[in-house]
Amino acid sequence: MAVGCAIMLLPFFWMVTTSLKTEAGAMRMPPQWIPPEPQWENYVVAWNMAPFGRYFFNSFFIAIMCTIGEVITTILAAYAFAKMRFIGKEVLFAIFLGTLMIPGEMLLVPNYVTLTRLGWLDRYEGLIIPWIVSVFGIFLLRQFFRSIPDELWDAARIDGCSRLRYLWRVIVPLSKPAILTVALFKFLGSWNSFQWVLLMTNTESMRTVPVGLMTFSSDIGTAYHLLMAASVMAIVPILILFFFTQKQFIQGVARTGIK
Amino acid sequence: MLRKLIVGLLGLLLGTVALAANEPVTIDFWHAMSSGHQPNLQKLVDDFMAEYPYIMVNLTYQGSYSALQGKINAAVAAGNLPTIAQVYENWVTPIQSLLYPIGPHMTAEEIADIIDGLVPSNTYNGVLTTVPFNKSIMVLYYNADLIPNPPTTWGEFYDLAKALTVDLDGDGRIDRYGTALRPAANPEQFLVFLNQAGGSILNDDWTAVTLCEEPGITAVEFCGRLIPYTFVTSEYISDHMGKVAMFIDTSAGYNYNKTGATNAGYTLGVAMLPAGPVNRSSMIQGTNLAVFNTPNQTQAQKDAAVLLARFLLRPENTAYWAMKSGYQPVTKSAYQLPAWKEFVAANPYQQAMSDQMLVGFSQILHPNYGDMRTVLSTKFDEIMRGAVSPLDGLRAMCEEIEALLEY
Repeated sequence: MAVGCAIMLLPFFWMVTTSLKTEAGAMRMPPQWIPPEPQWENYVVAWNMAPFGRYFFNSFFIAIMCTIGEVITTILAAYAFAKMRFIGKEVLFAIFLGTLMIPGEMLLVPNYVTLTRLGWLDRYEGLIIPWIVSVFGIFLLRQFFRSIPDELWDAARIDGCSRLRYLWRVIVPLSKPAILTVALFKFLGSWNSFQWVLLMTNTESMRTVPVGLMTFSSDIGTAYHLLMAASVMAIVPILILFFFTQKQFIQGVARTGIK
Repeated sequence: MLRKLIVGLLGLLLGTVALAANEPVTIDFWHAMSSGHQPNLQKLVDDFMAEYPYIMVNLTYQGSYSALQGKINAAVAAGNLPTIAQVYENWVTPIQSLLYPIGPHMTAEEIADIIDGLVPSNTYNGVLTTVPFNKSIMVLYYNADLIPNPPTTWGEFYDLAKALTVDLDGDGRIDRYGTALRPAANPEQFLVFLNQAGGSILNDDWTAVTLCEEPGITAVEFCGRLIPYTFVTSEYISDHMGKVAMFIDTSAGYNYNKTGATNAGYTLGVAMLPAGPVNRSSMIQGTNLAVFNTPNQTQAQKDAAVLLARFLLRPENTAYWAMKSGYQPVTKSAYQLPAWKEFVAANPYQQAMSDQMLVGFSQILHPNYGDMRTVLSTKFDEIMRGAVSPLDGLRAMCEEIEALLEY
């Protein structure tokens, strides 16, 4: 267990120590594990090389909006697929699942063309709205909702409860771990999103942290010490989020059978 | 009275023209110069905007070269290309019809000033269409502590590579290679050998593959002889400097190679490439500037972009960009500027790069060059890793490139 843990932590350790090395130290072979003189100013230099304040704001704003949007659409769709009866439900769900087979790269240009025609280039709408629906999230929540006994709905209906009220008052509270899992997956995905943001933005003020990390690489080499300093800064919010939601996340994954 | 009327009308006309000429215009300039280069590019663009106050340039960093290429491809599909962008030749050869030729708007002196080796790779159907921007050239880097006199011919290069390949600790494994190649990442290294042997991939009118003719055989056999003394990698050689005595790499990588050499504990030397049987040329790499002729660009925008391209070609500007970025000036007169000469005097390694640049050659403009390059890199890598014999590898290259001739 300890060995496994050490292997998992090694890249993080390398990232943190490299962020404190000189440029020459970062490229030294064999690698220098502990820098003799930590270069704390790497963080200041990296921060000032690009508008990272703006990038962090955008990353947070886009990730939070995408997460809220996806949680809402996913709960509604998953409930319909899990608990409601309508013609073609299974076929529709199969088609939904089938879309998971389409590689994202294939959709990149068609989606770009569509959103450009909508005038959403370089706007938050283009960075948020296409990502507020997730088939994977719907599948995950549907599986969870199906495990909730139908008797609860029967009882609620006798008390005059509408479907929407039942969903928000009964299903959602019972499904907190699964919903948190969906939310966390979305937040992580959105936070790390690179290609789409790069494609849809043309101004610095609309870009996010992962796009900002490109600042330190070029065709002829990479400033690893600065890249790692910026990467450490970029990963901190994710670590904090995971730290606070770890219990629910693991519970959600375990109960929905996702591995 | 009539004279007054004519003068008045002329004044009105000139005033209108002047007003029209100064109509504010905004252009988008997409580039892939990361933060180290960006302030210097911004400075040049700021100077341009100060000289042409009616032109506003939105300088937009679009990430790495591959990210920029992806973005340009998507913009072609969406019809929202920028006014001007940094481009590699093989990105725009398939979309030549979308290019707005810059050459016809330049003076004969300006065109004649561009380094000879750069003109063919910017000329489409006989018209200078794009212009060179950030260019580097492959030169020879060497461990100056081990090699007091860098090799000047293939024979000397081979002898030195052989002599400097050693198993220092006697464990049966080579600790230092005479040279290094990155065949998968940089097949241009093979094209250098090919050109120095007097060959080329295709004939002049692109109707036949000439790679397998005598010069190609000479080049590939030379590479084959180097195999035992060559460290073959896909990574940057700057990350493995201690393992290599000398290698061919881009001039733009000087700072990384210098850091690598310092880490490995030796002094880095830079020299012109050793001469092959026919010449001592080297391949010029890097991007050009293209102005796009798409419906989303007005004539005023295209004119403004042409002015910007010409501005960046001015000797003082291409020299400034080279001094700050590590790329090479792209015009002949820039090399004669006192500022450039002072720069070279203060940075002697630049002399070899400048000398090499003036005898450089560029890639061909065949629309399928991108795919041909993939064939070259795959087969050259197989040859250098010993997976296939040099001659069989060359024959396979020719067969696969033959299939790519049609476009």
